[in-house]
Amino acid sequence: MQIQLQKLAPTFIEEEKISGSQVWNNDMVFSPGEKIQVIAPSGSGKTSFIHFLYGMRKDHTGNILYADKNIAGFNAEDFATHRQRSVSIVFQDLRLFTQQTVLQNLEIKRQLAPYHAATKVMEMADRLGIGSKLNKYCKTCSYGEQQRIAIIRSLQQPFDFLLLDEPFSHLDDANRKLAMDLIEEEVELRKAGIILADLKATDHFNATKTFNL
Amino acid sequence: MNLSFHHIAPFLTTGQNKLSRWLSYIGLGIGVLLLLCSIQMYININALLKNKDQKKDGYDYIAVTKNISNENMAGSHSFTDADIAEIKNQSFIDDAAPFLSNKFVTKANGGATLPFSSDIFLESVNEKFIDTLPASFTWKEGDNTIPLIISSDYLELYNSVFAPSRDLPQFSEKSISSLLIGIDCEGLGGTQTFRGNIVAMSDRINTVIVPESFLKWANRHFANSTKAEPNKILLKTKDANNPDLLTFLQQKDYHVNKDKTRFGRIKQILQAIVSGLAGFGVLVILLAMVLFSFYLQLMIARSKENLQLLLTIGYSPAWLSKTVSRKWIPVYVVILIVTVAVTAFMHWGFQHFIMKDNENLSPFIHWIVIAVAVVLLLISVTLNYRLVKKLLYRL
Repeated sequence: MQIQLQKLAPTFIEEEKISGSQVWNNDMVFSPGEKIQVIAPSGSGKTSFIHFLYGMRKDHTGNILYADKNIAGFNAEDFATHRQRSVSIVFQDLRLFTQQTVLQNLEIKRQLAPYHAATKVMEMADRLGIGSKLNKYCKTCSYGEQQRIAIIRSLQQPFDFLLLDEPFSHLDDANRKLAMDLIEEEVELRKAGIILADLKATDHFNATKTFNL
Repeated sequence: MNLSFHHIAPFLTTGQNKLSRWLSYIGLGIGVLLLLCSIQMYININALLKNKDQKKDGYDYIAVTKNISNENMAGSHSFTDADIAEIKNQSFIDDAAPFLSNKFVTKANGGATLPFSSDIFLESVNEKFIDTLPASFTWKEGDNTIPLIISSDYLELYNSVFAPSRDLPQFSEKSISSLLIGIDCEGLGGTQTFRGNIVAMSDRINTVIVPESFLKWANRHFANSTKAEPNKILLKTKDANNPDLLTFLQQKDYHVNKDKTRFGRIKQILQAIVSGLAGFGVLVILLAMVLFSFYLQLMIARSKENLQLLLTIGYSPAWLSKTVSRKWIPVYVVILIVTVAVTAFMHWGFQHFIMKDNENLSPFIHWIVIAVAVVLLLISVTLNYRLVKKLLYRL
């Protein structure tokens, strides 16, 4: 599945910011296998961009197409299907079930459209250093740990694109590398693409294309 | 998706507000029980108070007249063609026929066998309404003998009261046909004497019936009258105790033999009581369902953030609505099984202990009761599903 942008631009950002952007108001096509990096300072609309792509916000002009279909015409069921099969995400604000355990957070996603066996979840958690936290409540984990939980959660389903919104902001360099390696392996396994939005070029991410927002 | 409610249960705050949930279950149980028992009793009343008398062909025949009160004594009390058409038009009346009566003076005497003489009346009605119609019940102009059909009550009265008091012979149904009665008709054309011959007894019609052809001729001949102007109508109905029929007769202020519709009046009252109970049952069910909908709304409001997040990570709102609302199907099924069982038990107790195994009542509950229970289950489940779906799509 390809994602196409047709003159996409937020309705709430100043005209000069839009005209100077390599993304806003342009026609773009993202294909599986590509590693797209979108760089912008705070307040330029990175999170809005990711949310537009995920279909969570509609306050934009222009169109977004999943496999040539305009997502403006999607209903809640269409989005649910794509979010189970074709598009996965790591939110900047993580959006975890804080009252549930780490394992419950991961399983509720894995069981929806299982891509891996349950044992793989433990393996990934061990690899990112949160194996001992699986039965702890999410709210008791540090922000860095929660970021890793969100990353592992995003890798439990099949997808053509993985959307990452400042996914490593609270990780040290060693953990960034571990997380990036795991992500790239999983993306490779699915022959999928990555669209990563961050403040600056992300370490350890071998982007095939980089755009300034 | 091989997911079930079990997977998402930890993400919903279902355990809260147990009291309102249990109150709604109990309310629903009581309401459904009231409704099912009322329906069964309604059916029982119909079965028990069905008038089985005088139903040789499965119909009841009742004669109606217009009520005569002090206020309307002076006016006409005959039925117009429009009245008859309206009567025939009622769904609970299968047919109706007017009685034609004599409009001239008629006297009868018993001849040599029975030394008595009396003024009498003659009536006729469409032959298909007569229960005992012999082939000899015909008359044509020039015939001197008139065939008569009289009410069997008359023979009974004669044999049991009149004959012993006057020391007259008593008659059997067969022997009375040999009796020759003199019938004198007086009017414009003078007096003419006919011979009356009783050819049959009727349990249905409480009068003296002569062939319609005779009465039409005689009314014209002796009274110069060709108008029917019937004062009495014979109704043919499947059930003389049908409350709709009674209501119609009451509305039109028609008079009917109270005894024939006595069960109907009792039934009307009992059905009103039972309908009231059923209405109360429906009200309780509605209240219970409203209470349960509050519980569902509260649960969804309390789980709002988690439900929103489930939708965000790819859970389908349709699947969530179905799964959340299905969770209560077993509870509803249990409530209905228990209420149907209690209704069946109460009905059996009523049939066995109170009605002493009355053969008009089955010891088992009527299938309609079970059908209503199933329909209620479907309605409850559908309403819950729609409510949950609406709330989820609103998130």
